[in-house]
Amino acid sequence: MYPQQIHQYIRQFFKENNCEIIRESDNFINVQLTIEMDKRIMNRPFYWKYLESTGDEPKPAQLTLITDKNRLTEGIAGEVVHYGSPRLNQLFKVTKELGSFVQMYEEPANPSGEQTILTPWVGVNYKITYSSDRTKEILYSLGINLLTGAILNGFQESICLLNLGSRIAPNTFHVPYIIKPIRALERLDAVIENQILHDDHTWAEEAKERLRKDLLVLEYFYRDIEEADRPECYESEKKAMEEQYETKVKIEVINGGLFYLYTNVG
Amino acid sequence: MAQTHSNFISGHSNKKISDEGMFMKIERSSEWKEGFEERLENRQVWDNWTLYKMCYEVEKVRLIKDFNGLQAPNFLPGLKPYPHQVEAAQTVIERMNGKAILADEVGLGKTIQAGLILKEYLIRGLVKKALILVPASLINQWIEELNQKFHIPVVQYNKKYDMSYCDIVVCSMDMAKRSPHRENIYNQDYDLIIIDEAHKLKNPKTKNYEFVQNLKKKFCLLLTATPIQNDVFELFNLISLLKPGHLGNFETFQSVFSASKHNVEEDEFLKELINQVMVRNSRHETGIEWTNRRVQIIPLEFSEKEKEVYDMISELKHVSPVFSGAFSMITLQKEICSSKHAAYLTLNEMRKKCTNPEEVSFTDEIIVKISQLDTNTKAEKAYEIIKEANGEKVIIFTEYRASQAFLQNFLYEKGIISVPFNGKFSKSKREWMKQLFKEKAQVLIATESGSEGINLQFCHHVINYDLPWNPMKLEQRIGRVHRLGQEHDVNIYNLAIKHTIEDHILELLNVKIGVFEKVVGELDDILTFKMSI
Repeated sequence: MYPQQIHQYIRQFFKENNCEIIRESDNFINVQLTIEMDKRIMNRPFYWKYLESTGDEPKPAQLTLITDKNRLTEGIAGEVVHYGSPRLNQLFKVTKELGSFVQMYEEPANPSGEQTILTPWVGVNYKITYSSDRTKEILYSLGINLLTGAILNGFQESICLLNLGSRIAPNTFHVPYIIKPIRALERLDAVIENQILHDDHTWAEEAKERLRKDLLVLEYFYRDIEEADRPECYESEKKAMEEQYETKVKIEVINGGLFYLYTNVG
Repeated sequence: MAQTHSNFISGHSNKKISDEGMFMKIERSSEWKEGFEERLENRQVWDNWTLYKMCYEVEKVRLIKDFNGLQAPNFLPGLKPYPHQVEAAQTVIERMNGKAILADEVGLGKTIQAGLILKEYLIRGLVKKALILVPASLINQWIEELNQKFHIPVVQYNKKYDMSYCDIVVCSMDMAKRSPHRENIYNQDYDLIIIDEAHKLKNPKTKNYEFVQNLKKKFCLLLTATPIQNDVFELFNLISLLKPGHLGNFETFQSVFSASKHNVEEDEFLKELINQVMVRNSRHETGIEWTNRRVQIIPLEFSEKEKEVYDMISELKHVSPVFSGAFSMITLQKEICSSKHAAYLTLNEMRKKCTNPEEVSFTDEIIVKISQLDTNTKAEKAYEIIKEANGEKVIIFTEYRASQAFLQNFLYEKGIISVPFNGKFSKSKREWMKQLFKEKAQVLIATESGSEGINLQFCHHVINYDLPWNPMKLEQRIGRVHRLGQEHDVNIYNLAIKHTIEDHILELLNVKIGVFEKVVGELDDILTFKMSI
């Protein structure tokens, strides 16, 4: 992420969370946190505990973040943020906490006054992690039509440019779903598992092979000692290798939600 | 409550998987599903669409698309690692599967390599808990570097803390190996162990070795600039700690590589095996412009009086059984080559053990002669070198505290201000001395124990006032100044008195350099010439 992208991200993040931007240039941003945001990111529980007991007026902090240190010309004191910095990681985490579940309604572009009917979908963004002593991740954005059960890959890309709102627009209606959202989620989970099953798992075979070779070497070291007489470190060494090369697949849901769409995406 | 449940898929529907009889563990959490249900039932509010989209975009940016390649440098725009450091990190992870000896020459930034590897594993989620074992004097340096350069929060081991809550811990080796800390550490499940100055593990009979041997090592990095100090068995021991069996077991290794038998072919084979677990860059391989090393051996002649005392000391072993042990004799000979003060202390101690009058009187005679010595050839030479340095900074290394004090005084009388330095100084005192040296004093006089973990790139004259037995110690000393950041050629002066024990030390140093280069790789000039075994 470039400094400009980070700047845009941070700006948007605070705006969406109702934190007032007091001063800003292209290279820094100074915001007034809300009470809720202060509690989330400033890590000062004792202050808030104290306020609760005394009943004093809360004074949420201001935060100055420098998004491009190299171009900063103003004499601004603040926290330098960059891709990988702890503060930005924290904001990413909070974004995830506050952006996990949505319910969105499409607002048709040219309301002609006619009634508009929306179709219900469940969309879920998954992250799959393959890991042994190395890792690889894959994203899947799946959507399922709650009327037909049709499944769409690349769902998020199909809807991210649509005009969506959190309330249903006037003169707009949606069909009740046939497949229950929870049932739909289970179907998507099954699709993901099937996807994993049919994926290329050379990586796992290679990890097993690395384990096999390392175990051979270890056995060689202790070959002159009877199994029963081998020292404790033989066992711990072996266990360490099994953990080192253990092949695992992890499925995570990044976020997802209910979508009522007018556009025919699938 | 969120639950994690896992199920196993065997390859019924997938030929490739079932052929191998492979089972894979799938981990998933039901947390999101529960949150979704709560919202469907209107027990919780829905989230913000913009944040939802931002979250997905961030995941896309952060996605680790490949098993290979490094993510860490993207997360550390301020770090600017050198190419050899990035390459080393990648080699360790991809070719050595995270178990390696990092053996770059002193001053090439092994800490940076280790930091990159740790960071990479943290980003990829392969390491949650890591233990870093270092000499006590380097604890703060590690904590600082990992915090500031790598944004890795590290805590110093403290027995009052519950270690289950501390993910990345730095602890001194001396503390870690002792009860109850030892047990505390064994009780934790560390994914990565980093050991700095790992040459201290060369001897399998030590507590250090045994402690590390019994530590579970999933991923493990051993850092040392000097994997061989004396002989190839040290490297065998180090590798057997990391990957037992990699060089065979002790018996087979010994039969092939015992010094009398081995030949060039086996050396090549050994080199190959070592390369599978060890990364070593020398200065000229890094592609960085290095300043030169100008090494001189400066042979000196004792004055008449000094020679007389040296010969009398050498004679002692024939006079008294107290001095007949080779070790005590060599110690005394080395000491008198350094300063009368160093020798006096030892001599005085040993005199107490003498019983018969003849021994006592001979020893006393030497002590009287010693006290009458009014010149020190080496010290005079050192002074000369310092004068010729024309006000530029000079470091003097000596093996003895007594010589250190003597030199400081000797130089003071000549109008030269110096500061002492040794490993027993606290962190703040070290920093203070370093600062004094940089700003006020021309000379820093360090003992051996001061030669680790202090970086003095602003200085480029090193006087080895005494020579250690071990060439790697010399390398460590020189590495204090000849490291990344040095802008001048570095002058090294090795002082040695002719026709004394120091002749032997020089010769031995050469032989040991020969062994090292055969199996590990070339060494930058430490002495002026190289001999083979």
